[in-house]
Amino acid sequence: MSGFLDSIRCGDCECSAVDWGERRNTMASIAAGVLFFTGWWIIIDAAVKYPQQESFNHAYHACGVIATVAFLMINAVSNGQVRGDSYSEGCMGQTGARVWLFIGFMLAFGSLIASMWILFGGFVVPQKPVVYPGIAVFFQNAFIFFGGLVFKFGRTEDLWQ
Amino acid sequence: MAGIKALLTLSFGAAVGLMFLTLGCALPVYNKYWPLFVLFFYILCPIPYCISQRVADNLDGGSSACKELAVFLTTGIVVSAFGLPVILARAEAIAWGACALVLTGNTVIFATILGFFVVFGSNDDFSW
Repeated sequence: MSGFLDSIRCGDCECSAVDWGERRNTMASIAAGVLFFTGWWIIIDAAVKYPQQESFNHAYHACGVIATVAFLMINAVSNGQVRGDSYSEGCMGQTGARVWLFIGFMLAFGSLIASMWILFGGFVVPQKPVVYPGIAVFFQNAFIFFGGLVFKFGRTEDLWQ
Repeated sequence: MAGIKALLTLSFGAAVGLMFLTLGCALPVYNKYWPLFVLFFYILCPIPYCISQRVADNLDGGSSACKELAVFLTTGIVVSAFGLPVILARAEAIAWGACALVLTGNTVIFATILGFFVVFGSNDDFSW
């Protein structure tokens, strides 16, 4: 039973003709760019449609800002520096890289959870007449979070010189 | 030399793209010039990639963190050029018809810029 999907093939499409090895990093960068910037444009749209403080409390923007800081922190260190096998030690060495990455991921998860809290605690539960800004905050942070993950883990450092 | 034909096609593409953008602004039924802000994104679009080609010496066509960052930023600029007209239309600063024209112009212009890099950009020494 456990292997019953093994024989299903996804269709030998021409995707194998594309040299996935070499293109992987470029594709991951493009996907991450689309996700990250779409997230920001969603919140810009919400801010333009609902400029008043009553319908969209401006403090909720902090969530997306922290998510962006987390994105930058996570992608500032390479996996090689964390494993300890890169040539240059960086400012803080391997332990410093690990602490930096830890804090970066904490901020990323924190902002994702905060966006859900904002949606439910700030818009759904008080039964605000317009819920769209809350949904926009949630989607902004979700997109930034997944963009960060794709940019960090979708690229392989084997392709770097 | 990639040829005069390629250059001709690319310049035609750029002209058509700018034509769509201008139509989206200047048609009497629309007559709003806000979409011209996407010109800012058109100009910014090649810059990250050009910088990365200069800074990171391209060894054997391998990838590097610098090139990937440039691709990321370029994708962001392209997304922004598509997002701005939609936001303007949602805010009712421009009409949706104008937005559609500007988005079409965007597509053509970015295809032209991409075509320029594919045809002319693969020199070993990318110098001015």
